[in-house]
Amino acid sequence: MAGGLVVIRKVQKRSIKQQLIRMNMLVSGAALLVACGAVLTYEVAAFRQTMVRGLSIQAQIVGANSVSALLFEDPESATKTLSALSAAPNILSGGIYTADGEEFATYFRVRPEALPQPVLAGDRVESHRFADGELRLVRRIIFQGKQIGTVYIRSDLREQASRIFRYLVILAGVLLLSLLSAFVLSHRFQRTIAQPLVGLAAVARVVSRERKFSVRAVTTTSQDEVAELIEAFNEMLGQIQERDSALQSAREELEQRVAWRTAELETVNKELESFTYSVAHDLRAPLRHIQGFSAALSEEFGAQLSPEGVDYVRRIVNGTRRMGLLINDLLALAHVGRQELHLRRTGLNALAQEVVQDLKEEARDRDIRWETGDLPSANCDPGLMRQVFYNLLSNAVKYTRPRNPAVIEIGQTQVNGEQVIFVRDNGVGFNMKYSAKLFGVFQRLHRVEDFEGTGVGLATVQRIIHKHGGRIWAEAEVDRGAAFFFTLNRVEPF
Amino acid sequence: MMSNFCARYLGSVLLLWFTSISCLSWAQKAKPSEYQVKAAYLSNFGRFVEWPAEVTAGDAPFYVCVLGQDSFGPFLDAALSGEKIGRATLLPKRLSRVEDGADCRLLFISASEDTRLAPILAGVGKSVLTVSDMPGFSQRGGMIQFVVEGNRVRFEINLAAAQHAGLILGSDLLKVATAVRRGL
Repeated sequence: MAGGLVVIRKVQKRSIKQQLIRMNMLVSGAALLVACGAVLTYEVAAFRQTMVRGLSIQAQIVGANSVSALLFEDPESATKTLSALSAAPNILSGGIYTADGEEFATYFRVRPEALPQPVLAGDRVESHRFADGELRLVRRIIFQGKQIGTVYIRSDLREQASRIFRYLVILAGVLLLSLLSAFVLSHRFQRTIAQPLVGLAAVARVVSRERKFSVRAVTTTSQDEVAELIEAFNEMLGQIQERDSALQSAREELEQRVAWRTAELETVNKELESFTYSVAHDLRAPLRHIQGFSAALSEEFGAQLSPEGVDYVRRIVNGTRRMGLLINDLLALAHVGRQELHLRRTGLNALAQEVVQDLKEEARDRDIRWETGDLPSANCDPGLMRQVFYNLLSNAVKYTRPRNPAVIEIGQTQVNGEQVIFVRDNGVGFNMKYSAKLFGVFQRLHRVEDFEGTGVGLATVQRIIHKHGGRIWAEAEVDRGAAFFFTLNRVEPF
Repeated sequence: MMSNFCARYLGSVLLLWFTSISCLSWAQKAKPSEYQVKAAYLSNFGRFVEWPAEVTAGDAPFYVCVLGQDSFGPFLDAALSGEKIGRATLLPKRLSRVEDGADCRLLFISASEDTRLAPILAGVGKSVLTVSDMPGFSQRGGMIQFVVEGNRVRFEINLAAAQHAGLILGSDLLKVATAVRRGL
């Protein structure tokens, strides 16, 4: 298994350069082998033909020179004629036979041997046979139209073997030289194809690994597909780079714009808050005058005033008191906006209980059932959080006035996996149509005659919750009660 | 050696008697007799000799003549039967006098004519190849003389005699001759 993996790895590791060279070598080698094989085959066939022709001529000469010997029964003369064959080193033995097939004269290169009875089928003058590494040839001796004998010559194929060996040596040399030159040439020519591709691959690796789009592949002078590929690749890199920088500048511009807008908003907000604060603060002095002189008027000149005048003064005093409350609330709201958060780990249970105790004291004369569940502890500003509970719970007390008994519930629940704290009552509720107005400054859903208030309390609560990174919303139904929910980003579990 | 030859000779005569009444194909398969071989030689000598053009012109048959006692019997007729040299058909002819052999191309002079050889050779027409098996024939002006060596029939050649008669003997013939005399 491991070996197989190693092999696969090796195969994959082979570069295009090596593959090109290998391919060239294989192609030229195969072509050369086929060519050499064809040449060798032809050469062997041609050489055999030449050999047969040569032996046939020798047989003819021997035959012609043996005619008189055969006719006048002179085997010595025939033997002498045959012995001329010793000039040809390839001829192993020869024989002359009479027309009756009797052995007449023989020749042996090394030592005597039994010669076969020469057989010629039909009326063939000559026949030959390659067998056992030898060439055997039989030829009729014909004199003046009559067969007077037969010649038989046996030759070895040493010459052919040595010739084939020489050929093989030459072919091996040619093959070696050709492969060598093919190697050198393909080594040179692979550069034009492989080198640009290798460079391209290296650049692509850098791009994919380092996400660096500023690099470029080296272009070639050739006009082939590889050059086209490199050009297209470089173009693509350029486009990516362009898009990248455009995206970057757009992002930077956006960030700049957001920062600018935020700063602008903050400035406006600060201006608004300081305006609110200064207005509220500056309103106090004239109000105090009105209050003071109204009080003096009723004390010193009360007796002189008609009952109608007394009523007017009382209305002025009431109005100024309400205005004082409004100014105080506005100042508190402005204060919340300006104040830094002093975050501390705070148990919300204890905080809520404190507020509940204060409210119980204030509403001694009413029948209110307080149902308080467990609340978590949170990382928050305790003073501001106390304000949140006071505003929400005092609202609950206020709007449950027509109920007897009133039920006010404090607790926590999970909404969409988020920890949510709620304050619920069975009071007069409100129309959900107006829920958007609920947290606006000076926005009131009830008449002052029915329920007193400045319309700043819920705005203050929302501002505190937002400062803590939380959200606040309400659910209500007319005459069925209302529920306020808020989250605190910094709420921690028990 | 000599007694052996005599025994062979006697055997040959006996064989001749036998084969004269037996079929020829059987005779060829057996060891051929001396005169059978000589007859075959007589049929083949002509193939290696070049006659003057005026002799070979025309369609005259090639007469192989035997002068004197005929030792060949039917062998000669058998050896010549159906044979041709060039366009000329080989035919046997038996003579008792040399004067009758004017149209002979080859004349075999029997050993019985030994004593009359000189006048015979003088009377032979021009361009006749003379053959004999009498001893000393080639020295005495004959062209081809049969000799028996061991059990084989061979021949000697008197090249000068042939040249004198205007005949050219082929080198292939000279090659197989036991001796070639070049001077008279």
